[in-house]
Amino acid sequence: MVKISVLQHNPALHVPIRPGDPTPVQRNLNPSMHPFAKARERTRALNAAKLDKIFSKPFVDSLEGHIDAVEVLTKPLESLTTVASGSWDGGLILHNLHTRSEMLKLPQAHKGKISGLCFADPKGSRLLSCGVDRNVRLWKVGTGDGEDDSGASSQEPLHVYPWKTSFNSIDHHRSDPLFATASSTVQIWDETKSAPVSNLTFPTSNETVSSVRFNLAEPSVLASVGSDRTFTLYDIRTGKAERRVVMQFRSNALAWSPTLPTMALLASEDHNLYTFDVRHMAAPVQIYKGHVAAVMSCEWAPTGVEFVSGGWDRTVRIWSSREAGGKEKGPGGREVVYHTKRMQRVTSTIYSSDARYVLSGSDDGNVRIWKAKASDKLGVITARERASMEYRESLVKRWSVDKDVGRVMRTRHLPKSVYKAGQLKHTMLEARRVKDERRRKHTRAGEQKPVAEKKKTVITEQS
Amino acid sequence: MDALIARADAIRPLSELKAVKTRDSGKGKAKANSKGKSKDTSTSNSDYTLQSISSHANVPKSLAPLDPSSSKSKNDEVPKYNHIANKKLRSQLVHQHALNSNLSKNALETQQNLLSLAADDAGSIQVTGPLEKTWRISQDEIVASVGGEAAKGRRELTFGPGQGAKRMKWSQNGRHLVFISGKGGTKVSSVDWMGGNVNCEVDLLAGSNLAGAGGNGGGGEAARDVTFLQDQSFFAVAQKRNVFVYDRDGVEVHRLNNIIDPLRLDFLPWHWLLVAVTNSGHLSYTDTTTGTQIAVHRTKLGACNTLTQNRHNAVVHLGHQNGCVTLWTPNLPKPAVQILSHMGPVTSISVNPSDGGSAGSVNMPGRYMATAGRDGKIKIWDCRNWKGVVREWAVRGAGDVELEWSQKGYLGVLSGGSVNVYHPPHIVTPYTGSSSSAAPPLYLSHPIPHKPLQCLRFEPFSDVLAIGHNKGLSSILVPGAGEPQFDSLEADPFENAKARREREVKGLLDKIQPDLITLDPSMVGKFDSAALSASGSSLVATAAQSLLDKSDKVKWGANVQVKNVGVDVPFSRMKRVERLAVQGKLDTTGAGDDSEDSDVEMKEGGDGDSDDEAGLSREEMSKKRKMRGKNKSLKRYLRKQRKNVVDPQVLAVRAKVDRMREEAKAKKLQMKAGGAGEENKRKSALDRFKAGSGK
Repeated sequence: MVKISVLQHNPALHVPIRPGDPTPVQRNLNPSMHPFAKARERTRALNAAKLDKIFSKPFVDSLEGHIDAVEVLTKPLESLTTVASGSWDGGLILHNLHTRSEMLKLPQAHKGKISGLCFADPKGSRLLSCGVDRNVRLWKVGTGDGEDDSGASSQEPLHVYPWKTSFNSIDHHRSDPLFATASSTVQIWDETKSAPVSNLTFPTSNETVSSVRFNLAEPSVLASVGSDRTFTLYDIRTGKAERRVVMQFRSNALAWSPTLPTMALLASEDHNLYTFDVRHMAAPVQIYKGHVAAVMSCEWAPTGVEFVSGGWDRTVRIWSSREAGGKEKGPGGREVVYHTKRMQRVTSTIYSSDARYVLSGSDDGNVRIWKAKASDKLGVITARERASMEYRESLVKRWSVDKDVGRVMRTRHLPKSVYKAGQLKHTMLEARRVKDERRRKHTRAGEQKPVAEKKKTVITEQS
Repeated sequence: MDALIARADAIRPLSELKAVKTRDSGKGKAKANSKGKSKDTSTSNSDYTLQSISSHANVPKSLAPLDPSSSKSKNDEVPKYNHIANKKLRSQLVHQHALNSNLSKNALETQQNLLSLAADDAGSIQVTGPLEKTWRISQDEIVASVGGEAAKGRRELTFGPGQGAKRMKWSQNGRHLVFISGKGGTKVSSVDWMGGNVNCEVDLLAGSNLAGAGGNGGGGEAARDVTFLQDQSFFAVAQKRNVFVYDRDGVEVHRLNNIIDPLRLDFLPWHWLLVAVTNSGHLSYTDTTTGTQIAVHRTKLGACNTLTQNRHNAVVHLGHQNGCVTLWTPNLPKPAVQILSHMGPVTSISVNPSDGGSAGSVNMPGRYMATAGRDGKIKIWDCRNWKGVVREWAVRGAGDVELEWSQKGYLGVLSGGSVNVYHPPHIVTPYTGSSSSAAPPLYLSHPIPHKPLQCLRFEPFSDVLAIGHNKGLSSILVPGAGEPQFDSLEADPFENAKARREREVKGLLDKIQPDLITLDPSMVGKFDSAALSASGSSLVATAAQSLLDKSDKVKWGANVQVKNVGVDVPFSRMKRVERLAVQGKLDTTGAGDDSEDSDVEMKEGGDGDSDDEAGLSREEMSKKRKMRGKNKSLKRYLRKQRKNVVDPQVLAVRAKVDRMREEAKAKKLQMKAGGAGEENKRKSALDRFKAGSGK
């Protein structure tokens, strides 16, 4: 007896039971059912890369209010919305990022430029400012959360700490009521005392210290950079400078990594950023090249993987730090560059506490809010949208070695001035290198050896 | 709790325990004093907990063994990547390999589960003994035994003598059918086969069709071929003058003016290309998304009556009047492959869309091509090796032979007055019997009294075979011919209008560029091995060049200009690979790894220059290169004499080689001891005038 069966589909299994129900999906993963799977995926990746470019509109908003160049920006550790900015005319504004409004405005907080700002507690209820008018002032500010002291911001400082020299930078201790200031020396102040409690300057040093920062994990350690092209480490327990290196160029700013306690980031005058491991200061861990003018400021993201820098070349750049575990580089293995037509020299940059936004203060008197990831979508994202975004992201990552996908991802637009300056810089460096090579070629073999770029950075290490 | 489970699971059948023990002891013997190995075995033993859990539950990712070397079963070999110096990269590669193998294993499991499910649905004929032949079973018996809904697949549509279906084509999902019928082929109908509705009927004879749009190139035009575009909403008709595109309601929406006198049509669904071949032998590709003609190739082989596509690489197969079959891509002005297949015009071509049925088989989809010619032969070709036919047999009966392969690899052949269907595995297995031209065993046979029989098409995802004959259109049931499990994301016979629209948009977004059509579709996403090897050779060249320069400088002194120096690239400006090559640290071991997965080699015509290179394997080549050096002839001689035979000549040569080696060593020692100071002294330009240096 022959058994015969013929394929028949049950339509009831393949159409929705009731109108409005989702249509049942049947899969067959046999590769022969999916011809050109790879080619189609590549097309999808190419489209995803293009979409990423289309959606990359990083500029969010500009916070106005200052009548002169913005010099410093700071944020409290535990607030998502509060940001303080100080300008060259001595004005101090407390911004609320959420409402994009001014919570506090002090048009004459200092006479002359405000050179340093920091919050005295993690919540952000007290603010320390220093300026070229040789004063440090402690302000009481409302957090704007509304519950305790929103209206309690006062136009008058809680305390004024006068001194003989003008200040360049200020930073508060993580837990103790101590703060450090940078002038011609590095001084430690107690909040309750009107004179500095100690002076930490390196013995033979005679420099102007431009920036001072407490370490985040080991708060008794602090570091400074100064006009003698130095990068100095201090310990307030021993009360003296521990070690310092002298570099080829001076650094303008300094930031400690929030996740790697020994990692410090320097923004240097020679257009580069350097990460130093303070255990081995003979050479930087990594050099970050990209700016075409002096780097004026730098700050780590709270994740400790990315950092942002602002430069004299009117750009804000976001970098991914390989040594801090940044797996993915920027598009094309380079940093992300933000710029607008009206933005002037960038003097200060910070990350927001949720690492989603970057703020930059520039010479044109505006504080600008940028997205940390240029193609990020703001607002509520549905689960399906999120899934499709993640799929696109992984597609682009997977196919980034493809020629076309890579080209789309690599392409970036730079202002003409920056582009030309970069070209010029490249030409000059190339010429220098060629000259070195020729010189080496015409000396006795083995007499002149090429020196690694990292080794060139540090001139001497002193302790 | 874990400990408890572990203990419970440790009680296992004795045989298993024994197996573990012997394995361990064997390892211990082999590598008694290597610490790493013993550690390995201990970890695999301590994973009882994990093993016991994993069989009963899904282990969270964090618990899953990350280190593949400790957890993998023994037959699943993990490459060690020992040749890679970078630790991070190595661990990343090992990790990636583990992830990939896990993924593929899971996919395979899922697939097998699905297949076993689908096997219940698939149609079949099961005979009880060798004397029962499936081809004896008539359609009436099949219809009677299956009954019900499935029996509705058997239909007989009668239009009248001389008005039967001439050409037809199913839509991708197998729900709709478009066919040419009427006197002289002047009527085109699109029907919803599964729903049993007529979408539209276009009467080309009337000169103005249903919608009254008219203008279909004047009245009295005969249609030569027809095909659906991306789905049932459009179909293209090759008419006497041009190709016309009609929508689902039969309204003419486009006229492709630049295709004149077309004979055959097909549509490449993933590239959105409409392919047409004309009476003058021109093959044209039209992008249906933009309406532009992206390529026209002159075949130079006259009118072409046979066109089919390989759905797995989008290569178009043309059959010509002189018996040639040519394979075309839009990117090559000449055929990628041209074979003389028949002694007479080629009447039909089909490419096997199935992968041979079973999972993990060596067959790949689109590997076999079947051709039929007016010489009364059917030939099966292997598309990877065009040297000869896999199988060929003769068919009886007058008229042109038409054939088509079903989704599951059943071959339907239309010849004379009947349609024959053959089994999948026997068609493509080379016949080893006495007569070289025996037909494979017949699966089904169905006579149709209305000669001539004109075309046949298997319905996708169904066991139905539609046949166009002189009087109309009939469909028969071929159990097992259709793929039982469709994929809703690719083609769904039951999709609604919304799903159809969405799939259309998605398909447009995923449209593949025509440049990517090649004989080997797996080319996408692979390294360009040709370019890689080219760059590699240049790399080796530069490295060798610089090495040469270096050695020359050492020999002649730094101040002596070395002649014939090509491009003198300083070390600091070399690429990283070049630097490594110069330093002798370049890793060349991993380069040959991809040779194993390039088993699919499409050999193209006129590719004779690299034959001698291809004859040698990579290892042989590297060996050959390695032998360049001192004493190569002696060493090669010795290598070739490595046999278990005492040969006085070999012994003598061996002794000689040893003696030479000793001498070289002694010389080296002497140099080190005596002439060290002199040797290390830097040579000056005047050294060459010294006595004894003038060689």
